[in-house]
Amino acid sequence: MITRRTKAEERRAYLLLVLPAVLLYFAVVAFPMIFSLWISVSDYSGGQIFGGSTPVRFAGFSNYVRMWNDRYFWISLKNNVYIVLISVFGQIPLGFILAYALHRNMFRAKGFFQTVIYLPCVISSVIVGILWQTIFSPYGPVTEIMQFFRPGWQNTMLSNPRTAMIPVLLVMLWYYTGTYFIIFLANLQKIDKEVIEAAKIDGATEWQTLRHVILPALSGVIVTSAILAISGSLKSFDLIFAMTGGNPARRTSVLALYMYDTAFRGAPNYPRANAVSTFMMAFSFLLIIITKLVEKRFGGKEE
Amino acid sequence: MKLRKLTMWMVLLLLLVFALVPNLIAAEPITIRVLNYLDASSPGAAREITEIWQRFEEENPDILVIREDQFGEPFHHKTEAYAAAGKLPEVLYVWPGGRSATLHQKKLLKDISRLLGDERNAFIDAALEPQAGGYLAMIPIGLTASHAMYVNTALLEELGLEMPKTYEDLKAMVAPLRAAGKDCIIIGAQDDWVMQSVLYSMIFGRLVGDEKLYEFIEGKAKFTDKVFVDSLRFYEQLFIDGVINRNAMQTPYGEAPALFAAGRAPFMIDGDWRAGAFLTDESTGKALIPPEKQKKIKMTVFPAIPGEINHGTSSIVPAVGYAMSAHVPDGSPEEEAAWRLISWLNSAEVQKIRLETGAAFPTRKGVTSDKLEPLAQERAEFYGRISGTHVLDDKLPPEICIPLNIGLQEIGLGLATPLEVARNVQAAYDEWAKSNK
Repeated sequence: MITRRTKAEERRAYLLLVLPAVLLYFAVVAFPMIFSLWISVSDYSGGQIFGGSTPVRFAGFSNYVRMWNDRYFWISLKNNVYIVLISVFGQIPLGFILAYALHRNMFRAKGFFQTVIYLPCVISSVIVGILWQTIFSPYGPVTEIMQFFRPGWQNTMLSNPRTAMIPVLLVMLWYYTGTYFIIFLANLQKIDKEVIEAAKIDGATEWQTLRHVILPALSGVIVTSAILAISGSLKSFDLIFAMTGGNPARRTSVLALYMYDTAFRGAPNYPRANAVSTFMMAFSFLLIIITKLVEKRFGGKEE
Repeated sequence: MKLRKLTMWMVLLLLLVFALVPNLIAAEPITIRVLNYLDASSPGAAREITEIWQRFEEENPDILVIREDQFGEPFHHKTEAYAAAGKLPEVLYVWPGGRSATLHQKKLLKDISRLLGDERNAFIDAALEPQAGGYLAMIPIGLTASHAMYVNTALLEELGLEMPKTYEDLKAMVAPLRAAGKDCIIIGAQDDWVMQSVLYSMIFGRLVGDEKLYEFIEGKAKFTDKVFVDSLRFYEQLFIDGVINRNAMQTPYGEAPALFAAGRAPFMIDGDWRAGAFLTDESTGKALIPPEKQKKIKMTVFPAIPGEINHGTSSIVPAVGYAMSAHVPDGSPEEEAAWRLISWLNSAEVQKIRLETGAAFPTRKGVTSDKLEPLAQERAEFYGRISGTHVLDDKLPPEICIPLNIGLQEIGLGLATPLEVARNVQAAYDEWAKSNK
């Protein structure tokens, strides 16, 4: 029989056990978020925050308004949306198709393809950025190959605002597909082969097996991958920083780079940079909620 | 008996003293953190590290130097991050204004006049001018022309072309160069500061001038005035005429010297510091342009621009130098150690090394070398041939300079008109002026 005292002791024990994790979470996640939110509505201009010579004052939402009215913010946001789209509708499907094809033994030399597809993921993003910067340079290999076929061809891909993001998106597709490929391959291997064989015996075609057996079994993984892709896309920074630095004329900038430029470039504006980071956080939550709703509506049950 | 006891105590005391004294003498070295700007891929990098930094450490064992080398944009970002966090290193590499404006304006650097004393007489007058904070925070390690036009005279001869004297001459070269599969001028302007620093500051100096620049800064003139818009129009014309390929905006800054050395164009526009990229790297014995071919490379300035009010000018700025963070207490051992390091970095010996590697042109009087490669010699002579106007990012606050930098890229890409950029710059000025009232 559980007495009231035992229950109280139990509660205390739970609280004690949870407390370190809560404190750690508060210190490294919650506090920086709240602090960033506070900076974004202040007039902080660097230096000592508490007890400094210039007191930090509340500045309302002026930083959000200025961010909203800055056209480079919209260019960066648009580019981030492109990256989210290429991640969710490019990297994930491609990663799945490649994993499925290898898992179903549609190719020979499985080990070789597995290595080749995953290889970009183990290279430093800065190296990848510089490598592709050289490849897409107006005097680089892409230009030379094209000029071999069409003499006089000018490589204006990165200097044309309409096409400037294409090389960046291609590199992102090449670089990150391997991650989803490995996730899907590992999860495909977890599906009971007997279930697939049973479907085949019942006369299911390859497409029907995929549609009614494999995809529902992987719906949770797809959603997790989508969440990873969305959050990863919104914090894209290193690869683009190394490849284009957000240029020319900020046409390949993304929100993280825009935030970084606002905080550390030329005339540092920390409140506005924090306003950008707060927006990124909210936008990320919104996209993840949409993903969860889509999964709820269309996803299969993992049972 | 008493004497024996006393002697024993004396011996023990002496032993104790002998045991402690070496420890007292070999006290912990004073730690000095340094944020240094270094292009590790430059030919002079090996000498910079071994002959300047390592040598100082060997000769000053009582100072522990913790050096952080950064280059390009990451350097500036790191500086701003340190400044924001209030954790500036004791010694740091700074610009006289421009990208280091925050450090000067917020007085985060120490006034070194007291420490410099009579040593100031060893430097040329231009090096002793106060920086953006209104006081002397550093001695520039060199003087810099942010605009220089490098000319491959061998390529011009090969193509039957002559050194252009006017803009029209230069424009006339575009067609024959294009027929030969060459560009006219190479500029690695993917980073947005490049066009403003190495080209437009010179155009502004020629067509608008320093006097008007001060009027803009004081609000007595507007950036939408015809004279400013016209200077942007001339800049735009360079792209329309094909003198500069729009691809310059997607050419990485670091790629330009290799393209110029490979003969992709007879002209390259960059800062004078780029001469160092072509010199021999002593660690490998290799040079982007070997010394025998360097004789055919000339350094000059952009040809005469129609309507210019200043003729044959470049844009000049007292160059970078080493400053001490203001948080180092006066008269402390840290100040003494940091100043010893800064004095070494400004010494005649170090300036001579930098002259030889092409890293900087000396600010100390009488520093010279008989080991100069032809292009380093050419660079030394280049200063005698030019006069200069201001580099814009040295005078304009970053709040105004950044929209100008981006605007110059937009004009080059055909994304904005000169008038639109002028309006954006004026809007940035108005906002800056309002917040600084």
